[in-house]
Amino acid sequence: MRPAVTHNLKRKFAHALDLPPNVVLDHAVIQILGDGEVKIINHKGLVQYTTSAVKAKSVQGMIEVGGLDLEIASFSAQEIKIRGQIRQVILK
Amino acid sequence: MTSLPWMWWQGYVTVHLRGPGIEQVMNRAAEAGVVMLRVERLTSDVVIVRITARDFRRLRPLFRETVPRLAVSVSVLDRHGAPFLLRRFKRRLFLAVGFALAALFAIYLSNFVWFIEVVGNSTIDLPSIRAAVAETGLKSGVPKRSIDAQAVERHLLERLPSLAWSQIKTKGVKVEIHLVERDTVETDGQQAGHVYAKRDGLVTEILVLQGTPQVREGDTVLQDDLLISGMYYDRQGRRQFGAARGIVKARVWYQAVGEASLVRWEPQRTGKRHRQYVLTVGPLRIPLGRSYPQETHLENVKNWRLYLGSAMAPLSWSRIEYEEVEWMAVGIPVQEAEQAAYLLAWESLLGQGVERESVIQEKTAVDYVEDGEGIRVTVRVEVVEDIGQFLGQ
Repeated sequence: MRPAVTHNLKRKFAHALDLPPNVVLDHAVIQILGDGEVKIINHKGLVQYTTSAVKAKSVQGMIEVGGLDLEIASFSAQEIKIRGQIRQVILK
Repeated sequence: MTSLPWMWWQGYVTVHLRGPGIEQVMNRAAEAGVVMLRVERLTSDVVIVRITARDFRRLRPLFRETVPRLAVSVSVLDRHGAPFLLRRFKRRLFLAVGFALAALFAIYLSNFVWFIEVVGNSTIDLPSIRAAVAETGLKSGVPKRSIDAQAVERHLLERLPSLAWSQIKTKGVKVEIHLVERDTVETDGQQAGHVYAKRDGLVTEILVLQGTPQVREGDTVLQDDLLISGMYYDRQGRRQFGAARGIVKARVWYQAVGEASLVRWEPQRTGKRHRQYVLTVGPLRIPLGRSYPQETHLENVKNWRLYLGSAMAPLSWSRIEYEEVEWMAVGIPVQEAEQAAYLLAWESLLGQGVERESVIQEKTAVDYVEDGEGIRVTVRVEVVEDIGQFLGQ
């Protein structure tokens, strides 16, 4: 089965059973706390880490956090917590 | 998620990663269930991560597998946390024992009262409050469990009548004494009573402002004799009892004796010196070195005290310099000794309440003490003063 079809089916299933889509569809959750912290839950791997940008893969695409003096406060298979002066969060 | 304090408890290492594929190494580690904290990018190819020691042991094979391929070098920069500290202590047993003993000693000391703070007194002076408190046994260095707060509060109220309320609060090693003083109300002269003689004398003048005189000029009175009665008859002829008021001047005689030695013992230093140190912890005095008797040695003490902010810590260090001396007798001229004895006698007279200005006659007698080494001066003075003293009923 093609991925687009699978995704569509999952979305309909979640909608029918009133389940949270991020759980069923494996979506990433991005939490932004002011301009000092970003938390990416359910990422699919770190791609790039510098003091001005942190890029991580997700089911939706690439999540890019831009800013100054960025530091990964914690990193695990489920979650990346980034601290610093956050300027932008882009989903590509 | 793991926090840094929890990682400290478990023990963690700071790992230095260098190379172009650091992100992949981190992903591999995360897939293996490793949590990394405070990941710092130092340069374009150097990253520092903190991971628990247990995770690092698990990661070693993974690094060996993947790192050569990814060209990332891994090294441990530092080790932190409780397990590493314990290992260090195992190597330095005495240090660990010292720490443990110090902790136990601190815990033991925390069972005692070290500071006493008085709050709320405005007219009652601090030394008298401290003295009243000390009478109950509450002082710096006593065990906290020995304090009976209610008994101390009661005693303070009994001992210091101008107090309206007291409360004892124990805060750690400090006891706070909270006080509230009474508002004073002037009652003098309002109360009914008589005027009595406060000492023996010969009445020279009497002025009655209220009441009935009980003595006349020329009368000899003894201490506590009634001078002016509070009983009187008003203009309507009714018998009243009020506050007797008036002035009763009398000739009063005082006598005092002063003695002075004709020999002065002066210390002659032999040149021998000794030093002793004393550590004082609360009520405990620990001398380091020998003490020397005061009869043969002069003492020069220097103290150092530990202050914590405005509070005085119960810890002090003293240095005592002993200087050996021999006492030599030096004769004092008779006139000088007589003057010293005279001054002592006058000091005693002033202590009895004599005022120099009110003296109308002074007599001095000089004689030698029995052993001939001293002189005795007896001073007798005659003064005119108000001997009346009002006592309410």
